[in-house]
Amino acid sequence: MTLDASAPSADLGAPIPRTSGLRMIGWNWLGVTPFFLFAFLFLIGPVLYLVAGAFQNAEGAFTFDNIIALGSPNIVASFSLSIRLSLLSALMGAVAGLLLGHAVILGGLPVWVRNAFTTFSGVASNFAGVPLAFAFIATLGRLGLVTVLLRDLFGFNLYATGFNLFSFVGLSIVYLYFQLPLMFLIIAPALDGLKTEWREAAEILGASRRQYWQMVGLPVLTPTILGCFLLLFANAFGTLATVYALMGSGFDVVPIVLFQQIRGNVLYNPNLGYALALGMVAIMGVSNTLYLILRNRAERWQK
Amino acid sequence: MSFLSISNAIKTFGTNTVVKGFDLSVEKGEFVSFLGPSGCGKTTVLRMIAGFERPTSGNITIDGRDVTDLAPNKRRIGMVFQAYALFPNMNVFGNIAFGLKIAGLGKAETEARVKEMLALIGLSHLEERYPYELSGGQQQRVALARALAPKPQVLLLDEPLSALDAKIRVSLREEIRAIQRQLGITTVFVTHDQEEAMSISDRIVVMNGGRADQIGTPSAIYNRPSTRFVAGFVGTLNVLKARVDRRNAQTVTIGGKTVQLAQPVESADAQGNLSLALRPEALSLLPSDLRDVTFDGIVKSVSFMGSVIRIRMDVGDEAISFDMFNSPNLVAPSIGQKASAHFASSDIFELSA
Amino acid sequence: MKKRFPFAAVLMALFGASFFIVPLIATFYFSLKMTRGELGFAAYASVFNSADFLNTILYSTIASLIAILIGAIIIVPTAYWVRLKVPKLRPVVEFISLLPLIVPPVVLVFGYIRLFGSNSWLPLTASTFGTDVLLVVGYVVLSMPYMFRAVDNGMAAIDISTLTEAAESLGASRLRTITTVIFPNVRAAIISGAFLTFSISVGEFVLASLLNRPAFGPYLVQLGQDRAYEPAALAIMSFGFIWGCMVLMQMFATRKPGQRWLLRLTTRPAQRARP
Repeated sequence: MTLDASAPSADLGAPIPRTSGLRMIGWNWLGVTPFFLFAFLFLIGPVLYLVAGAFQNAEGAFTFDNIIALGSPNIVASFSLSIRLSLLSALMGAVAGLLLGHAVILGGLPVWVRNAFTTFSGVASNFAGVPLAFAFIATLGRLGLVTVLLRDLFGFNLYATGFNLFSFVGLSIVYLYFQLPLMFLIIAPALDGLKTEWREAAEILGASRRQYWQMVGLPVLTPTILGCFLLLFANAFGTLATVYALMGSGFDVVPIVLFQQIRGNVLYNPNLGYALALGMVAIMGVSNTLYLILRNRAERWQK
Repeated sequence: MSFLSISNAIKTFGTNTVVKGFDLSVEKGEFVSFLGPSGCGKTTVLRMIAGFERPTSGNITIDGRDVTDLAPNKRRIGMVFQAYALFPNMNVFGNIAFGLKIAGLGKAETEARVKEMLALIGLSHLEERYPYELSGGQQQRVALARALAPKPQVLLLDEPLSALDAKIRVSLREEIRAIQRQLGITTVFVTHDQEEAMSISDRIVVMNGGRADQIGTPSAIYNRPSTRFVAGFVGTLNVLKARVDRRNAQTVTIGGKTVQLAQPVESADAQGNLSLALRPEALSLLPSDLRDVTFDGIVKSVSFMGSVIRIRMDVGDEAISFDMFNSPNLVAPSIGQKASAHFASSDIFELSA
Repeated sequence: MKKRFPFAAVLMALFGASFFIVPLIATFYFSLKMTRGELGFAAYASVFNSADFLNTILYSTIASLIAILIGAIIIVPTAYWVRLKVPKLRPVVEFISLLPLIVPPVVLVFGYIRLFGSNSWLPLTASTFGTDVLLVVGYVVLSMPYMFRAVDNGMAAIDISTLTEAAESLGASRLRTITTVIFPNVRAAIISGAFLTFSISVGEFVLASLLNRPAFGPYLVQLGQDRAYEPAALAIMSFGFIWGCMVLMQMFATRKPGQRWLLRLTTRPAQRARP
């Protein structure tokens, strides 16, 4: 097959035949080279460097020491804290998001309610970090508006119950502010995808509302719900700015520990840092991959 | 005694009256089609029978029992939807077994019944498949089996073939009719395709603007349409402007030609003008003893449609269209050629409003 | 079908709405209390008068804008090329564009510090300028998933390959096709991605803090430790800023090429011409 160099548009859109000259493929690859170069240099490269470094000691020799060091009580406690917090936050977000989604989309409320929540969720899901921490201090802190109102209007002393905004539970409530909208935004199309015909078909076959949800509705939604849960988990796991702004550097979730390692505020051991980074990437990689698998499963069913 | 009856059903959505007084009696085991264009209210009436819409006024009775206020899941009705609506999280077996499971049928009986249904629709080998792995036609057959498995009193089908390819539409409608006959189940079938309705129904309800324009057998609807809408909607129609003779109501003038009709005319206006209708198959290029009227004209178009050739002719300032059976020895007329179309005066019928 | 009043749904919606709105009200209220005994905008005035605020927000804005520019320059041609010439590479490119979602910023910046540190093969962190470059690059990477998806969706909506074929069959060169046909039609998608990038980068904390650059994020944290009322004011302003970005992003994402601006803001949906 001869290459017609005078007709460069000949290869437009058509699949590139494997038997064609190497030259043709060469030209096409050139177009995406800047992207790959950039990605390797500033994304894949640094991460691989860290991963490789996790298996090296200070002299550069291969070792498992860093991985083993991950088993030290402090580090294990950190991972445990991070995982527990992320699980709780993901659970809260998933349940709340599903309930809100069901209420707003399938509950028979006017359309403007749904649109309002959708718009707001787009903003709130990005409102993480420092300003969010400030907002909750002003709301549920010791002098926060809600705390004061509960005390003055209802005689209810929130902090006397042992509640503290600057705690595990308090933090998960703050997380909910961006987790709930994220769940809502992702579950909304899935709820739309529950065809009314399914409900009607189930009903005409004798099913009650509960039976429909139990046998059709929830099973169909389950891949999406699970996937979302994992997404929320990963989202919570990687959060740093919010925690830092609220709790300072004392709350030892994994991102904060790594943060301190990099800052040099603790015994500076870069290789341990690598191992921490590896652990983080591994956990987030696994949960995001599972999310993608579940999402594809769900899309296949909704065909 | 009718098995399914709808009396004076009216349905209003806000200010819009979609169904304007609908009456129908369906015998047990009868296959009735609702035929009409989009928006005529046929699906709304079907959904009222199913219970998804509540009539604003009127009653629905099944087997002597008033079901107007009964919830859909208590009516023992089977329904097949246009979009199949198979449950995506269950395989074919699970879908067909659904109604039986709800009814609390035991495992062994459920399995026996499902297998029976699968044999009925000829898909026993696809028991384990999931809906997304099936073609449209297969999905619809499973939907039919699912609807019939719990042995409902009435079967409703809401444009079940509209989403399918033309060839499958034809074969599947025959299959649906065969199954219906075999089971003897009272059936209501909604469609906008008149060929579909005519080929498989015992009776057709032609609907227009929320009302039933005519209820009758396919041949009655086709040969003796009671309104202009029915005449025009079902099959093709030639509409001819005519003028009645003041002295003799059985004599009309069409395009300058005098024609004796079989019946006196009833619907002429004050000036004596009226519309007459003629089915395309009544006309022919070939003269015969029965065909006592001849129109001369010029051929405008010749469409080859397979077994039939459709010819359009200008006769004076009227255009008429007629069909001829294709035959190997036939030489079709060419465009611009002079031709004569012959028909029997008894084939003309009047169009009332 | 009986229609019951949706009590449960209304309750849940109210609950959700209050969870979202109450913190905002509380923050706003708190931000007004700087002057003892009265409600006023003293906290806001204090913020705007602060040199640190102005400097850091300027720094962050410039860094974000450069990041948007670089992001667009890298991603737009790539998205175009992938659609047109190498569709087989599409899954790979898409996967890479989604990788930043798996890599937390703290890990990313750690990688930068080690890979481009003072003793490395490309010591970017050794100079202020180099560190600034790293910061901007980091923003580009963080925004890559969103930018790529926005541009990709925009290109999908206008069927790039057919447009290109039509242009070239009418005699246009490749360059002319890109500038006169492709680019104007994806401009809105690019701007949409830009607003999302902007909202992510301006308040970003982790990268800026660990690379020790005078950006807005670290300033916010410092302020939170030093002051009481100004952080609340800034939180409200942040929220308003993000809201503005999202609204503009949405507006550009759904804009059809050729639509006029004012028309979109004022006409009812039913009056807009359907495609």
